[in-house]
Amino acid sequence: MKLLIVEDQPKTGHYLRQGLAEAGFNTELVADGTTGQHLALTGDYDLLILDVMLPGRDGWQILQAVRNAGLDIPVLFLTARDAVEDRVHGLELGADDYLVKPFAFSELLARVRSLLRRGGSAPQETSLQLADLRLDLIRRRVERNGQRIDLTAKEFSLLEMLLRRQGEVLPKSLIASQVWDMNFDSDTNIIEVAIRRLRLKVDDNFPNKLIHTVRGMGYVLEERFC
Amino acid sequence: MRRVSLATRLALLFAACTAVVSLLAGVLFNRASEAHFIELDQQLLDSKLVALRSVLQGADTLSLFTQREGQLREELRHQPDLALRISTVGGQNWFDGAPGITLPSSAGLYSLQSTGTDYRVYNAPLVAGKTDSPQLSLILDITHHQHFLERMQRLIWLTVGLSALATALLGAWAARSGLRPLRRMSEVAAGVSAHSLTQRLPQEQMPTELAELAQAFNAMLGRLDDAFQRLSAFSADIAHELRTPLSNLLTHTQVILTQPRPLEDYREALHSNLEELQWMAQLVNDMLYLAKADHGLLIPKREPLALADEADALLEFFAPLAEDVQVNMFRKGSAGTLGDRSMLRRALSNLLDNALRFTPQGGEISVSIVEEVQGVKLSVENTGEGIPQALLPRLFDRFYRADPARHEGSSEHAGLGLAITRSIVRAHGGTIRCESGTGWTRFLIELPTTN
Repeated sequence: MKLLIVEDQPKTGHYLRQGLAEAGFNTELVADGTTGQHLALTGDYDLLILDVMLPGRDGWQILQAVRNAGLDIPVLFLTARDAVEDRVHGLELGADDYLVKPFAFSELLARVRSLLRRGGSAPQETSLQLADLRLDLIRRRVERNGQRIDLTAKEFSLLEMLLRRQGEVLPKSLIASQVWDMNFDSDTNIIEVAIRRLRLKVDDNFPNKLIHTVRGMGYVLEERFC
Repeated sequence: MRRVSLATRLALLFAACTAVVSLLAGVLFNRASEAHFIELDQQLLDSKLVALRSVLQGADTLSLFTQREGQLREELRHQPDLALRISTVGGQNWFDGAPGITLPSSAGLYSLQSTGTDYRVYNAPLVAGKTDSPQLSLILDITHHQHFLERMQRLIWLTVGLSALATALLGAWAARSGLRPLRRMSEVAAGVSAHSLTQRLPQEQMPTELAELAQAFNAMLGRLDDAFQRLSAFSADIAHELRTPLSNLLTHTQVILTQPRPLEDYREALHSNLEELQWMAQLVNDMLYLAKADHGLLIPKREPLALADEADALLEFFAPLAEDVQVNMFRKGSAGTLGDRSMLRRALSNLLDNALRFTPQGGEISVSIVEEVQGVKLSVENTGEGIPQALLPRLFDRFYRADPARHEGSSEHAGLGLAITRSIVRAHGGTIRCESGTGWTRFLIELPTTN
């Protein structure tokens, strides 16, 4: 997966590239709009991450050029400005997502993965599985090691999300947004409580723990071998 | 055009008024005295005419007249300012006491001027009622009258000038002292700065015309003061809120870096820093949200919402937390409205979050929705200790924490939740207030029916 970051602040750009590279993406970083636009049009990228304020050409102009060239690459905007008009303007021009600084890297990573996944057609699974945990999407049943686990509707959705995106660190805000449709910065520890309850049912009676907390970042479902 | 001060303008107007009035009075007086002098002269000349007629009685020929001429001169000697001319119808002068003066020929009283002297001339026939008898012309020197009138006129002009000047000066003084409240007002206005917003105009000493203005001015100062107080308190609060996590970050990072440590310690330090940073980012985001609301940039979408569904979704969201602290949450009633789903969810979530923190174990939280003609009422009520009446208006203030023990910089939120809720409700054109009594607290949102 090839990503292009156009960000003029060296520190931000550097950390973004490092973070995305370590997450397994092939990332290129440029600091000015003119070069950025040239690369976006000629390079074969899977995703563009654009800052709005850039020297040379701003993020919107790049987006416009990309869309005018008939390219359908997903574009994620980063901006320090949070004016409603900005957001509307960006979305009208065909931006796919929008993050306002300060944002958490985990949030950015989750959004990048969502955007990249959107392109590919997800196969219609009937069940999801990790190790001995199995989730039957049709009968809406969860089993672990052959043992039936009773979950509430929301717990089921939460586990489904974790399973679908296994190995990815999911920030609390993303979980709140996807599972409960709460699209705002919620400063409650509800997600913590919900995860704890899910763990109680899914992990507590089994030696091999699957739900892990990544401190300060979110939660991840994966098999870890100690 | 040059701007003339109000006081100067008033003074000049006063002066002009006085000048006009005194000029009118002077002219009238002048006319009256002139008429009076004419009347006096008429009387004098009438009496003289009678005397002269009696002296000249029967002297209707020149020879008879000559006989009486001595007697006539004797009579005239008593009156040095009076001259006499006697002329016949034919134009012959029998007697001429004032040669060189051209006189009107017909009978009557005339005023005329000749060689710098003013005269009053009275023509009358020698024999009353007989037009063909010789005509007597009595010529009275009235120079002293004219002098008097001229003096009078000069006096009038002087009076006009002086009184105009006096009123101008007095008027200027009066206007200045009359306008003193205005000046005081402008002094106060000029003295207003960020540090002296507490100054007010003394309203009760103001004249009625200015009282309203003073009141408006004071009200404006009050609003400014209030807004400024809030703003400066807000800035101070931000600084204060950020200081604790910043100082934690600084200290912690410096301490960690002072000596080599096991890897785990660095990781731990970064984690701890991350928590502080997340808290700060949240704070900044909340502040930006409130700033947007303050600038009217919080524009809610207008999607049709079933409030009961929204409330249920939130209750479901909060359910794990509520079960943890054994609080029973339920919803009653339903209503539809137009609004922004995610904004209203955020508003309601802050209220529920707040309620959960203040509801004791085993208590309950109820969300009730009532549809009324003028709008919908949505309330979140929880059991538990009430909030003192005095604190109710402050609940929605930024950074206000009902529980002072909750220390700043903790992972708890910064006390912006209710302020954000209020901003959202206001952006929807609604109102929010808090009511509390013994054992219960209720936040009541009223959203108008929009059409």
